Amino acid sequence: MLDLPVNEAVTLADLTRDPYPIYKRMRAETPVVRVAQTNRIFVTRAEHTKWIKETPEIFSSDDPMTPMKPAFQAHTLMRKDGDEHRAERMAMQPSFSPKVIRTDWGELYTKLAEDYVSRLPRGETVDLFKDLCGPIAARILAHMLGLEEASDEEMQRWSQRLIDGAGNFGEDPELFRLSDEANAEMNALFERVIPRHTEQPNNSAFSVMLNGRNPIPMSQMYANIKIAIGGGINEPRDALATIVYGLLTNPDQLDEVKRQDVWLDAFEEGVRWVAPIQVSGRRTTQEVQIGDHLIGPGETVMTIQASANRDEAIYGADGEEYNVFRDKHPHQAFGSGPHHCAGAQVARRTLGQIMLPLLFDRFPNMTLADPARVIWSGFGFRGPLNLPVTLN
Amino acid sequence: MAKITFVQPDGRRQTVEAETGKSVMQVALAHGIDGILAECGGAMMCATCHCYVDDDRTGTASEGEEDMLDCAEAEVRPTSRLTCQIKVSEALDGLVVHLPEADE
Repeated sequence: MLDLPVNEAVTLADLTRDPYPIYKRMRAETPVVRVAQTNRIFVTRAEHTKWIKETPEIFSSDDPMTPMKPAFQAHTLMRKDGDEHRAERMAMQPSFSPKVIRTDWGELYTKLAEDYVSRLPRGETVDLFKDLCGPIAARILAHMLGLEEASDEEMQRWSQRLIDGAGNFGEDPELFRLSDEANAEMNALFERVIPRHTEQPNNSAFSVMLNGRNPIPMSQMYANIKIAIGGGINEPRDALATIVYGLLTNPDQLDEVKRQDVWLDAFEEGVRWVAPIQVSGRRTTQEVQIGDHLIGPGETVMTIQASANRDEAIYGADGEEYNVFRDKHPHQAFGSGPHHCAGAQVARRTLGQIMLPLLFDRFPNMTLADPARVIWSGFGFRGPLNLPVTLN
Repeated sequence: MAKITFVQPDGRRQTVEAETGKSVMQVALAHGIDGILAECGGAMMCATCHCYVDDDRTGTASEGEEDMLDCAEAEVRPTSRLTCQIKVSEALDGLVVHLPEADE
């Protein structure tokens, strides 16, 4: 057994700017390492990250100190284990099932996507991130959750404030003030729409939870909807922007994707390449060996799926590249184990089957004049912050 | 060990030696059986290891498994099971597992 190495050099700012060269080196030299600045243990190889996610008895999601608690004003299902987690998750899972997507949402989402894409001005240069990726993600999610009364702007603002609060490890009171404000606005809306959902139930998440056989407590319904708002906008938004960037900077691949009609593959490769959720935290419940190192109980281990998704052991030497036509291997962008992304199927359909083909059909000669102008950012969540494309 | 036969919707059959104690899902992944994704890794949270198993020896689906099956991609039938919930034993020798149609 070897001593756990400590990395004193890496900072959160480095990781936020571009974590990939750092992870590449960690995979090769220190695949299990304590990163001093965060006081967390980073695990960067695919075999380890997958195993950790699939072993919740040793690697618990329950973090009593998580800033998610004040940010969401609740202990949410993301931070629960076992039966308690399952009960809450299954309360809304039917809304995200392939069957309900087909019967209830497919047509609506296609119409929404058409509406939003048709608003974009042909011939002009726009920021696709701001003008399409964010708003369409917000609108689709509002319907899926049963909150269509909320505006795109509200949905996006609430989402960002929840995320900022959940990542507020420095306990900046201003960030919690902003998330409290968002919580108050969301609670007011939830209260307002309850009668609609009890009188006219549909397959939206709120409706399904309210009208379930054994409804979970109302406080947990609220918390779950907030988790979906916190997680359900930035991820499809960032995935869409990432995939469009990947295709526009690899025009030969774009042509081939169109020819073969393999938009789902373009989607899958995009989320592998830059996973919208890059890292997840787990707390050790006992002493455990990871690789060559013994880790004590009560440690916070970060599984770096961003790194696992480029692991040479699976993807060979070119895992750093966007390549739709690489050999297919399962990736970990949606995680694994009990907390496997509840929205994975919804994301595949809305982006891979509806949005991507529609967008490139309407603007077949869309261009990204200067890829260097695109700013990438993020350690926990990652994606482009802008995407200036010319629509033709 | 037990022999398990996987049958694809087009009739293609693959018979493999399955290690006892593993789940049928793990056996399928180890042998690269098409149609078993098992995205959640056996946590009964994704329904991407859904199959049809018409064999009393495998018992019946638990309530949690039934709930998750409702979220499966392909048609759910009375014989639907999540293969992560079926444990291989000598007693299951000769089991036949039918893969569902892919939706796309």
